[in-house]
Amino acid sequence: MLNESRIDPKIIEEVLKFSKNVIDAPKFVSAPDEINLEVTPHKVVQEIDKTRLLYYKPVIETKHKTPLLISYALINRFHILDIHPEKSWVRNLLEQGFEVYMLDWGTPTSMDKYLDFDDYVNGYLDSSIEFIKNKSSTEKISLQGYCTGATIATAYTALHPENVKNYIATAPVIDGWKDTTVISNLAKHMDADKMVDTIGNMPPEFMYYCFSVLKPFEQGIEKYIKFFKNIDDKKFVDNFLRVEKWLGDTPPIPGELFKQWIKDIYQENLLIQNKMYVADQLIDLKKIDMPMFTQVAVGDHLVSPECSMPLHYAVGSTDKTLKIYPTGHVGMIASSLSQKKVLPEMGKWLAERS
Amino acid sequence: MSSKPQALTSIGPMRAFAANSKKIAVELIEINENLVGFNQYMTEYYKQLSNTWGIAQKKVNLKAPKIPQDAEQIEAVKRIWIDIFDNDFTELFDSKKFGNNYGNLVSKELELTKHWNNITNVILQSVNLPSKEEIDEVYKEIHSLKKRVSKLELELKKEKRKNAK
Repeated sequence: MLNESRIDPKIIEEVLKFSKNVIDAPKFVSAPDEINLEVTPHKVVQEIDKTRLLYYKPVIETKHKTPLLISYALINRFHILDIHPEKSWVRNLLEQGFEVYMLDWGTPTSMDKYLDFDDYVNGYLDSSIEFIKNKSSTEKISLQGYCTGATIATAYTALHPENVKNYIATAPVIDGWKDTTVISNLAKHMDADKMVDTIGNMPPEFMYYCFSVLKPFEQGIEKYIKFFKNIDDKKFVDNFLRVEKWLGDTPPIPGELFKQWIKDIYQENLLIQNKMYVADQLIDLKKIDMPMFTQVAVGDHLVSPECSMPLHYAVGSTDKTLKIYPTGHVGMIASSLSQKKVLPEMGKWLAERS
Repeated sequence: MSSKPQALTSIGPMRAFAANSKKIAVELIEINENLVGFNQYMTEYYKQLSNTWGIAQKKVNLKAPKIPQDAEQIEAVKRIWIDIFDNDFTELFDSKKFGNNYGNLVSKELELTKHWNNITNVILQSVNLPSKEEIDEVYKEIHSLKKRVSKLELELKKEKRKNAK
């Protein structure tokens, strides 16, 4: 008697379709160079060393008097905030009538290994704010910091509260001891002095390793299975490639800045205890007394909400709002949820104070 | 007269290299010592990964059906596999034992790099090129000067703005 085959024909069909998609992939996929990540028209209005201050062209008449400067993270590039016309953080804010600037930290080289917190806070960020104040003839601006860019923005706001009208902290890295992520575990066990003394800047390859241990099977396997399954979906492929290109482009972090970062934030946790110094200035979070809006994501596996939320309670502001969203670190800034919920809520809050 | 041939060789690369070649030998001995430590941490690193893999696979075997019968079951097994593996590996990467070992592994790798830098410095000096330390000194000086200039420029701009009011 012959053994009856019990393989579901659907399985064979799926395997064949998947194999065909893998073979056909090169026809549907653009080369990384063909993908333009700078979607919304802008111009470079100031360049200092490798940093650039970008000014985005308004899409409607500006409705709010106070301009907004975004201090992006030090990891990867600012493109994620303008990754796709339909998911662009910047474009959404322009459509709400805000005047938007972005600080691109650029790509440091070996020569920049001595750049430190002081250069970023009292140098690049302060110069950008000074430029915007001059151009807009305003005394104060609104400042938004994202991820590690929010740590720099927090230090700035505490040291120069007279220049900041409203402060928005999006997934800020603040309380290193409370951070429950894998990144913080690696950071706590790292000899940052030895790394910087030996190789200068924090190399991008080290960051890629850190990314690879975050949800390694979902991100390393399932993500690519989904990609090949949806290879004929133009919109999906375009979105996927944009994010992949962004993920594969992280600049080195200047050595001195990285050293202070790891030691003061993750290992000794000085910022939240009001014990951190930038140059010879003590950062006292109580000096942040302007309206403040904090955004955190429950599923953030890069900066856990426990690491970000203490900022809301530590500042001196009386007008402060904390928003918690059911998404992840990138989902909070570049997803349909960010377009439908995160940005409208932030825009409403900011419009009332601008 | 007898010192002249020696003086002649002092400008070529070999004299400087010969004078410092002992340093290279010392560095190579230390590299070997470092490699022992590096291998130890590397072995522990892979041991932690393979142990976690084994435990996670056992959990998957208990939860998933022996042979998936249709496309839906394959999808369900894949989901179980990814969830269990992600959870177990995240738990490992988040643990103190992993953090300690990984920190030591990176540290040993950096020590190896440092020895390699030292050897390269000997070679660079033998051909009258600046060492890494000397280049770093230049970078530091440039950084310090740029910082001073930037601060002065910024102060000037602020002052101009104040006076313009």
